[in-house]
Amino acid sequence: MIYGDKKTGVLVQGATGKQGEFHIGLMNAYAREVGARGVVAGVTPGKGGKEVHGVPVYNTVKEAMRDHDISASVIFVPAMAAADSIMEEAHAGIETIVAITEHIPVHDTMKALAFAKMEGCSVIGPNCPGLLSPGEVKMGIMPAGLFLRGNVGVISRSGTLTYEVVDELTRAGIGQSTVVGIGGDPVIGQTFVDVLQRFEKDPQTKAVVLIGEVGGNLEEEGAKSTDLPIVSYIAGISAPPDKRMGHAGAIVEGGEGDARSKIGRLRKLGVPVASRPSEIPDMVRDLFKGHC
Amino acid sequence: MKLREYEAKKIIREYGIPVPAGFLIQSADELPVHLAELGENIVLKAQVDVGGRGKAGGILMADRKNAVATAQDLFKKEIKGLPVREVLAEQRLGIQHEYYLSITVDRSSKQPLILFTEAGGVDIEITAKEHPEAIRTAIANPLMREIPPFMLRELVGMAPKEIGPIINRLYRVFLEKDALLAEINPLVTTPQGVFAADAKLIIDDNALGRQGFAVNRDLTDREREAEKYGFSYVELDGTIGVIGNGAGLTMSTLDLIGFYGGKAANFLDVGGGAESERVMHAVRLVGSVPSVKVIVVNLLGGITKCDEVAKGIIAADIPQKVIVRLAGTNEAEGRAMLSEKGYEMLDTMDLVVRKAVEVAA
Repeated sequence: MIYGDKKTGVLVQGATGKQGEFHIGLMNAYAREVGARGVVAGVTPGKGGKEVHGVPVYNTVKEAMRDHDISASVIFVPAMAAADSIMEEAHAGIETIVAITEHIPVHDTMKALAFAKMEGCSVIGPNCPGLLSPGEVKMGIMPAGLFLRGNVGVISRSGTLTYEVVDELTRAGIGQSTVVGIGGDPVIGQTFVDVLQRFEKDPQTKAVVLIGEVGGNLEEEGAKSTDLPIVSYIAGISAPPDKRMGHAGAIVEGGEGDARSKIGRLRKLGVPVASRPSEIPDMVRDLFKGHC
Repeated sequence: MKLREYEAKKIIREYGIPVPAGFLIQSADELPVHLAELGENIVLKAQVDVGGRGKAGGILMADRKNAVATAQDLFKKEIKGLPVREVLAEQRLGIQHEYYLSITVDRSSKQPLILFTEAGGVDIEITAKEHPEAIRTAIANPLMREIPPFMLRELVGMAPKEIGPIINRLYRVFLEKDALLAEINPLVTTPQGVFAADAKLIIDDNALGRQGFAVNRDLTDREREAEKYGFSYVELDGTIGVIGNGAGLTMSTLDLIGFYGGKAANFLDVGGGAESERVMHAVRLVGSVPSVKVIVVNLLGGITKCDEVAKGIIAADIPQKVIVRLAGTNEAEGRAMLSEKGYEMLDTMDLVVRKAVEVAA
């Protein structure tokens, strides 16, 4: 496990909003299924004293932390207020923050991440689906039904494409240790490098699937940083230059970050790159044959 | 969204960065009243939303005598297919040296990255490739509102000292205007001092509202309509319409169409938590593109509920064939609703895409 396990107490900010309420229900259904603590408290300013699916709601993170043992949080707060929520949680002493919110202005994210770093807190996202360690903990919005416990770590800049790959792996009988969606924004907290470092220290994880897309070079930085066996897939080979492909961070700019050159650099580092998601399970099997 | 040069220059001037005397004109007739202030040597710059306008003939040199005639010529031109509606008429500076200065968002450090080089006036990408040693960089702390003096000294080196305060002013522009890029190229020294001869600002699309912009000018009409519904939409030139949820999955669907020998007509990401009405608008929007012969809907439910999606597809009721792949939250309900209405549903992404490529061929 990385980032959390059954014993992790989770807080949800934006608990009384539509998405917050819906996903507290799903996260705690999963927690009950695997015998985990799950979401123990919610926060929405001005809604203190309410309950969401039996989870008590507080006005501030500090109040929730006084009553509960909490080490992680999931944020569903609207874009213009979400960076403030990240800082509130980091300041209150939460160790791992998962920011689901999309459309946070980049400058807000940069400030919130710099602040969280000073407070010694890890931020996953923003604009991400969170993480799931099958049989242990779900923090975020990933559909738990697709997952199978096992030894392959998955790191991805995308949400639904991650589910696609997890679905392919599970159908092929290849289980996952932890699946982390690191987010589709240009500036994100935990990058491939950070998550790979955690996977290296995780005895359960034997290989990693790295799912990237156009824009930047965080995939190559990640692949360079680790000795773990990796299979990769990069989305956006058909993406035209200077067009933002859905994610704020998925853009080929100044001739940089295009899929073909990214794939080329990964292959140069010895990383096998799948040309479509359905090829990934067989490539993972080949890795295990070679390394384990 | 990229600002036009005159907008960027207006902003940086408000922050105390010197710019050449200049006037925005909408026709050559407006030029004569400004000639006295512009002096003998004039440069006329078309304000069009495309890159590389200089090479495309969008920047013309003039003097006081031929300025009006030159402006008339420029207004008659098309720059990369765009008509010239606005021209920035500027005093031409007696340039001694050209520098390059920019501030961008650095993905690796997650902080603002400042670039300065004494080899200005050329494309920074070319300098980065040919003379990377000539570029000086600094990473700023986004929690600090000023760049510390030591960092300015490191950046400026032996270049004129006046550049230090200009870097700090551009940094304030970058922070306060939600810029993804703030660039002065070239930053020039003249006998009259240091000036920003050109300026470029790109504003974060997610901050346009709080920066006072009602619309994103970078988008096409259909892209703007898509934005109203909260979709990400990109127009391409094939025949297969693509609707997905999540940017990665939608991109991957496009790539797969290419893999099987087809061509995608568009990219439409309905986003997370798609309600039935939004899905309906998505299907209708893609269906309204004349070149679209068939539509692939590839949706995996996370934050999206499959029953809502099914309702939306059925309500859209478009003439083109819609081939559907649905999986995830409330999957059984969504599947049942679609099968009842006779929609073709396939189990995997490879299968829907292959089918669509067949139908389109």
